[in-house]
Amino acid sequence: MRFVLTVILTAMLSACLAERAPLVATDIVVPKPRPGTQMTAGYLTLRNNTTQTITITQVSSPEFESVEMHESVLEDGVARMRPLRDLTIRAGQSVQLEPGGKHLMLTRPVGEIEATTLEFYNSEAVMLTVNVTLTD
Amino acid sequence: MGPKNIFIAIVAVIAIGTGAWFSSRLLLPPPALQTATVLPAPGELPEFSLLDHNGQAIGRDVFDGHWSLVFFGFTRCPDICPLTLQVLSNANMQLADKGQKPLPRIVLVSVDPERDTPEIMQQYVAYFGDDILGVTGELEELRKLTRGLGIFFEKAVLDGDNYSINHSAVVLVINPDGRLHALFGAPHLAENYVHDLPLIMARR
Repeated sequence: MRFVLTVILTAMLSACLAERAPLVATDIVVPKPRPGTQMTAGYLTLRNNTTQTITITQVSSPEFESVEMHESVLEDGVARMRPLRDLTIRAGQSVQLEPGGKHLMLTRPVGEIEATTLEFYNSEAVMLTVNVTLTD
Repeated sequence: MGPKNIFIAIVAVIAIGTGAWFSSRLLLPPPALQTATVLPAPGELPEFSLLDHNGQAIGRDVFDGHWSLVFFGFTRCPDICPLTLQVLSNANMQLADKGQKPLPRIVLVSVDPERDTPEIMQQYVAYFGDDILGVTGELEELRKLTRGLGIFFEKAVLDGDNYSINHSAVVLVINPDGRLHALFGAPHLAENYVHDLPLIMARR
């Protein structure tokens, strides 16, 4: 019984902490780079729990030489990839990075990697660090 | 009404019902395509000389004898290209489950022949399925094919030497006579292919 209570309380506590974090990432998907390529994409939902706009100006990963924010757009039947200078998430809102839309482009992994860490920066400091297991 | 009359009445109702059902089937228009556009007259492909993912020279007769789904992309494309190949591959798996025969062959033509060597294409296409054809080669030869099919592509410099490629996102359907038969516009969904391809392939 005590064990069950501890589990429930821990779950509630971590839920509260997650809720209070200013920026929360969910639905994170980073496929392993496809054979023959040195790159992959990153998809996730970012939620801003604060009362102010959050602007992500840079994303980095120790396991990839570069991480860029991009957006795929379809114009007159032509697929284009636009670099995004920053990513704005309004107070209390979420932004989705999803296939066919905004996404991260991760290039040149350090080797055969199974997992990675993504660091999201605003103009001053790291806002959020997430650990991701790469999918097949 | 005696039992004999009841029997005659039941037979009559069944006969009329069956007749009505068959005639309605005959009069109904064929099921409409969901998204694909079929060309009024299948178009001839231009002559070209490119390489398959094994490094073998191929020309337009590579399309003869089977249905093909042709997409133009490149391996260093992180989002749209793997997404589209995954959709086509999923569609083929669903069609196979439904008993569709034959299945169309998926073809990826690289619009980045500078970086996409046959070796890279081989590794890349194998990831998405067993029977996918990768095509690359000389830029001039590639242009013969893309120009003839109305496919657009251009380099977009990202920073320094790094570039991306903007390219038509359409998927072309080439028929077993090696002619451009139909096309699917982006965005691509597996369900549209599963619905439309059997109709396109059966009607010919």
